[in-house]
Amino acid sequence: MFESIVLWLGAVLTAPFFSAVILKVKAFFGGKKGPPLLINYYTLIKLVKKGSVYSTSTTAVFKMGPVISCATALAALLFLPIAGHIPVISFNGDVILVLYLLGLGRFFTIAAAMDTASPFEGMGAAREAFFPIICEAAMFMILIFFYRMTGELSFAAYFSGTGTLALWQIAGPSLLFIVIAFFIILVTETSRVPVDDPATHLELTMIHEVMVLDHSGPDFALIELGAFCKLFFYAAILSPLILPFETGIPGAGMLLFIAGLLIVYLVVGIIESTIARYRMDKVPQFVLTSFALAFFATIITLELIQ
Amino acid sequence: MSHFFAAISLILAGGVVSLVFARQHVFSRAAAAILISAGCAWGLVDTVIKLTGSVTHSAAFQYLNLFFLAFEMDGLSAFFLAVIFLVCLLAAVYSFHYMDDPGSSVKTAVTGFFFSLLVVSMAMVVTAANMITFMLSWEIMSLSSFFLVIHNYQHVENRKAGYLYFVFSHVGAMFLFAGFGVLYKYTGSFGFADVHTLPEAAKTLAFVLFFIGFGSKAGVFPFHVWLPHAHPAAPSHISAVMSGVMIKTGIYGILRIYALLEMPAPGFGYLVVAAGVVSGILGVVYALGQTDIKRLLAYSSVENIGIILIGMGIGMIGVSSRNPLMAVLGFSGAIFHVLNHAMFKSLLFMGAGMVVHQTGTRSMDSLGGLLKSMKITGFAFIIGSLAICGLPPFNGFAGEFFVYMGAFKGISLDKIPFAVSIAAIISLAVIGGLALACFTRVVGIVFQGEPRTDAARNQTETGATMLGAMGILAGACVIIGIFPGWFFNLILSAVSSLNLGYERIPAAPFAQIAGHITLGALVIVVLVLAVAVLRSWCYRAKPVSQSGTWGCGFTRPTTKMQYTGSSYAFDIIQFFRPAAPLEENHVPIAGRFPAGTRYESRVHDIAERYMEPGVVRPVQFVFDRLRWIQHGDIHLYIGYILLAIVLLLFFV
Repeated sequence: MFESIVLWLGAVLTAPFFSAVILKVKAFFGGKKGPPLLINYYTLIKLVKKGSVYSTSTTAVFKMGPVISCATALAALLFLPIAGHIPVISFNGDVILVLYLLGLGRFFTIAAAMDTASPFEGMGAAREAFFPIICEAAMFMILIFFYRMTGELSFAAYFSGTGTLALWQIAGPSLLFIVIAFFIILVTETSRVPVDDPATHLELTMIHEVMVLDHSGPDFALIELGAFCKLFFYAAILSPLILPFETGIPGAGMLLFIAGLLIVYLVVGIIESTIARYRMDKVPQFVLTSFALAFFATIITLELIQ
Repeated sequence: MSHFFAAISLILAGGVVSLVFARQHVFSRAAAAILISAGCAWGLVDTVIKLTGSVTHSAAFQYLNLFFLAFEMDGLSAFFLAVIFLVCLLAAVYSFHYMDDPGSSVKTAVTGFFFSLLVVSMAMVVTAANMITFMLSWEIMSLSSFFLVIHNYQHVENRKAGYLYFVFSHVGAMFLFAGFGVLYKYTGSFGFADVHTLPEAAKTLAFVLFFIGFGSKAGVFPFHVWLPHAHPAAPSHISAVMSGVMIKTGIYGILRIYALLEMPAPGFGYLVVAAGVVSGILGVVYALGQTDIKRLLAYSSVENIGIILIGMGIGMIGVSSRNPLMAVLGFSGAIFHVLNHAMFKSLLFMGAGMVVHQTGTRSMDSLGGLLKSMKITGFAFIIGSLAICGLPPFNGFAGEFFVYMGAFKGISLDKIPFAVSIAAIISLAVIGGLALACFTRVVGIVFQGEPRTDAARNQTETGATMLGAMGILAGACVIIGIFPGWFFNLILSAVSSLNLGYERIPAAPFAQIAGHITLGALVIVVLVLAVAVLRSWCYRAKPVSQSGTWGCGFTRPTTKMQYTGSSYAFDIIQFFRPAAPLEENHVPIAGRFPAGTRYESRVHDIAERYMEPGVVRPVQFVFDRLRWIQHGDIHLYIGYILLAIVLLLFFV
């Protein structure tokens, strides 16, 4: 239990670091030196030191938005095994709870955006409400796959211990589909290229960034921290899937886990440097691909199980 | 049962007193509100006590050997009864300030009377123990709610909505009569006792007939067409009762018939899940397309009926595939959702009622920014919205969680049950996402941002009884969401009277699931509070100022520039184009100095769209040809009767 809490705290504290890896990769592709790897900590500290300016249009919901979106991301990490260790909380069905918790965070992010009466934020909110619908369907399809393989509904059953290695041995080919499907979900849910461009300068083309335009100071710091944790959450699911090895050497599990994380962040960075964002009306098709892959993977397992 | 009859007599007395003293407006309203709510409270306490004891109670009356009325209260009846009494209690309280309209005191009194009649008839429907009692109560329920729908009969669209409802409820009743006819043919009695002795084919026929009949009351797609017309037309506390509990009598009917037939055919489960998936997804897509807040809520009821049906269908598949855990999870999730939907939907209708009452408009795109001046209504509405989206830690999540757990049990099955379970899970996920889009839209457009028209400017919330009723419901949504355990025991006693063939349902595995929901809910509550404390610590002694919203460089923003409800939903509606055709009416902008332009859009309901050419016109055509039979000559009419009797003599 104590170990799990320490790992959870470690995850929360290192999440900003890993996000900076993406910036570094992008800088590399742009032929630049890029910001230091600790840039996100500097940004968070800077924001926490500041005060805030609130729009006259806003209500208390605007202030609840950052708190709840950050809290839900933190809560999601509580249920996730980190480096194969048992998570802080785990029960049968916790996966469903976590998916709905992220939904709760999204509800308040959208509500906070709608609170400002800004047409840009409304536009971002409409997109934020739309794309995750397909993501959720794909997510549940992946969940069906995992349930079919393990008969369990908890992250601990999938990702702790040697869970993922066993999965590769039973259903390797379809797990490959799942990894790709899940990566598409990661990109969509965490507002990354080619769904959303966190670095763009035109508000009309943003999704997540435009929704938080009016947040400032510590409120914005909470949003940023929440976003780092959310990205970490998805990357931490992918990490044991792409490096499912069991060495038996103490400490090696943690190193493998970190290596997996770095690979995920690197790939995100590479994609972000080499691909342009899709046109908004092409995004649903991109996300549906993820659903289709997960669906095929599940259908393939029908044969494997029997 | 004596407490039950005392309670419904008290409720009816409330309606009668209100009618007798119609001219004394305040007294009439107060008498209706106090007596009806007192009766409901009495009934509620009595039912909950019986539900925890879970003993079957029955009573019967006979009048001249003609009318044999029988009532029976088992776990299932008692659970639905508790939901009916609870919501009607709060609706009666709410009505006191809501119906404050001295100009039309008689109309108000009449509505009070029919309201009491509706409550009593619903209570009788769920306790009826033979066909006569059932159909009698069912018809009183349909008729009394018809009169409530046409409360504002001056408006032609309300009368139209009323007629549409009238036709639908009677076509539905016709299917029920046909279903009861099938039962009567084999059992030879009006009682329900021998229904399980029917041959299989007759059982299947009866189930399908009842499913259509009850489905049209419950608002199952495509029999829901009346619902988005009738529910908005009624006064808001009536809408709350109709959407919150009256349509659930259809669900009760399906469950009761399923229990009576005792036939675990897998086909029933597939049919129910399929109906649930279609109703659920299309209901919420159409809800997204609405601009009228009450119509939106009505469509959202179609969606929630879909979720309930998915749960029931999963339960039925569980029974037919001999998977008791799946069966109990599915049924209990569905019944739990009946309770939850009753709570948050009536809360949302009451919130919408407050908005309509104060601003005088139901068009969402004319509203905005109401949260600033209507704090209690606004936050109660937000809690209701969170609950209806199925988000933790609110009650909607608790119910859906059980359905999910049941549906996942079906993933271990093979072939058709496996495919149906996938469909159930994926559509629950999609419904959840769409509901989130739909209700962030309502909250965002109606309560947040800036007022779009003068109607929404500087409106306050009034009426202690209205606010109180909403407050209680919002509190209930939170309490059930965090501590579902106690409520779940009541649900299990409802499930155990479904005749699933299990001796005794062990409470432990379900108490464990409820405990997990509590744990998850508490985790998020604690974390939110912790982050909130952290946030306020960050803000101590910090400069905090106010300014306009950042317009991305534009310095003269107007409220007209805000995103509208239609634009918010546009992309999603486009995605569901084939099922939700979008009609746009737009004068294009042309030239360097364009003239004024306008844009209109409307999302069509395909069931409604194809009802006219597919059903109404063929029926009209046939009956036009038969018009000569009705000629007004009484002699020939008597001749018809004689002829009919003679013909019947050959057959009977």
